[in-house]
Amino acid sequence: MSTKHSIAAAKFVANKKQAAWHNETLWMVRAKRDKMSKDIPEWEQLRDLACNIKLYSNSHLEELLQEFEKNATANGAIVHWAKDAKEHNEIVLGILRDHDVKHFVKSKSMLAEECELNPFLIEKGIEVVETDLGERILQLMDVPPSHIVLPAIHIKREQVGELFEEKLGTEKGNSDPTYLTRAARKHLRDKFLNAEASMTGANFAVASTGDIVVCTNEGNADMGTSCPKIHIAIMGMEKIVPDQESLGVFTRLLARSATGQPVTSYTSHYRKPREGGEFHIIIVDNGRSKILGQPDHIKTLNCIRCGACMNTCPVYRRSGGYSYTYFIPGPIGINLGMLYSATEYFDNLSACSLCLSCSHVCPVKVDLGEQIYRWRQEMDKIGKASKEKKVMSAGMKFLMERPILFNSALWMSPVVNVLPRFIKYNFLNEWGKGRELPEFAKESFNEMWKKNKVK
Amino acid sequence: MNSKELILESIRKHTQTKYEKPELSVDAITYPDKQAKFCEMLQFVGGEFLILKEGENLNEMIMRLNPEAKRIGSTLSYITCNTFNPDELENSTELNGTDLAIVEGLFGVAENGAVWMDQNVKHKALYFISEKLIIVLDKNKLVNNMHEAYRQMEIGQYGFGVFISGPSKTADIEQALVIGAHGPKGLMVILK
Repeated sequence: MSTKHSIAAAKFVANKKQAAWHNETLWMVRAKRDKMSKDIPEWEQLRDLACNIKLYSNSHLEELLQEFEKNATANGAIVHWAKDAKEHNEIVLGILRDHDVKHFVKSKSMLAEECELNPFLIEKGIEVVETDLGERILQLMDVPPSHIVLPAIHIKREQVGELFEEKLGTEKGNSDPTYLTRAARKHLRDKFLNAEASMTGANFAVASTGDIVVCTNEGNADMGTSCPKIHIAIMGMEKIVPDQESLGVFTRLLARSATGQPVTSYTSHYRKPREGGEFHIIIVDNGRSKILGQPDHIKTLNCIRCGACMNTCPVYRRSGGYSYTYFIPGPIGINLGMLYSATEYFDNLSACSLCLSCSHVCPVKVDLGEQIYRWRQEMDKIGKASKEKKVMSAGMKFLMERPILFNSALWMSPVVNVLPRFIKYNFLNEWGKGRELPEFAKESFNEMWKKNKVK
Repeated sequence: MNSKELILESIRKHTQTKYEKPELSVDAITYPDKQAKFCEMLQFVGGEFLILKEGENLNEMIMRLNPEAKRIGSTLSYITCNTFNPDELENSTELNGTDLAIVEGLFGVAENGAVWMDQNVKHKALYFISEKLIIVLDKNKLVNNMHEAYRQMEIGQYGFGVFISGPSKTADIEQALVIGAHGPKGLMVILK
């Protein structure tokens, strides 16, 4: 039984050139992150601190969220609470309808993806425009992001050139990134100027001040919130940090971990509504509070969505974001998917070699690989363990508990080397898919030891 | 129960270990020459710098460096080379088509070339909408790192504030860096 991940990955790797480019490009981003982190001698201290601040804030959400609400309200913002995706979408729609908004510009938000906000609003007759370049490309192509920070990493420039030629009227055959970016700038500038409301996500929400902090490179969040008078910021409730001093720890870690930049071009602090405008903040639960009750997995709430775990993951780099069944791919996506619905997203657990590189680069020390390992121990309990692997494992257990049988089997093992393929690689051998058996030695270590051949 | 109460109830029900707030002291990096590091990082993030020398005229320097700029916006009293005052515009969208905006920063951060601005203009669009942005900054107002930066900010004083580190940029097409996404295509910090 192959998992959905391995089946989809086979498709991705079939395009060898593209798969190699994907792997190398993400590794380059990982290498940039390494260089940036090594420029900061206190890097490991920052990671420890970031992890501990998150453990504190996520175990004091009741107090901190209310403190945030009080301060944000005092600043003139309007705070809403949404228990799930449906309520979140309804609140957004309500605000837009109250102001008769027809044109809505959005900067990138994984929470909006999680809530499937765009299709909901579009169905209600609102023009929703993604303004991050990568997200806009994907929106025009009508496909989802394949990475949380580099959403269009799987798209080639020629594809963007063809897309823009059709949708934006750019020159035929011109796929120069600068030319295409300029075309998008012009196209989206018009959208900014004519929108009646904008949306941003939130990288951080500061309890002590009521600030929403958004980090971008393109300046799209700021163009969006500078033109229309209504700004809706949405945040998962784990985005809370206690105060500005804590915020300093995260703004030092985020961009260095994400793209190997010392900081994003813009780190914007939204506090009050614009003159004559409105500032809405929606705090979303959608399953997050339940994670608090699972001590083995609580650290997933530390995540600041930098994507470093994807860039370093040997499986993600070689299989692409679309091979995963949850909308967030890579190590963090595997874990978040399992927490959201284990029986629906268990396939992704196979997308891990347990190398633990993700755990080592994570700026907030989420124990990503270790959690995947723990989930695998639960597979049988949720009724999703592979039947074939269970049969084989039971056989191995039987053999290993019986030394005489085991040794005879070992003595026989070189025979496997000359067996025809159809006997070795069939439906019973789950491990034989995409893997070659090693050649068995003519003599086992045990025998060599007994004959004193081991020096 | 409304949603807020439901959410808080669920948080109360599920929260287990209450972790202590950690001590926030960090042995953060400092630089022997903050100005040199700030300029180095500013260039690294795609920005430019100019250190105004004794006797040099700020307005003349700006004009000499930006001969092609036609529509120049600034609200600063000591800027005379501007062609309009953005605070006099009714709507922020009227700022579209500005070639050059000249604004003032509060302090710079050496470790990442960022400048902290808290909104002291009517339309914050001024920081983002022009083709090029010039930030005038007191060269004595530089801090080493973001920890020092956040200690500088007076809580409760701003409605909107932003750290700007270089011009706007994107690498969303094949990871090829393009300077000038939605915000300014060029950014210069003038240290005086």
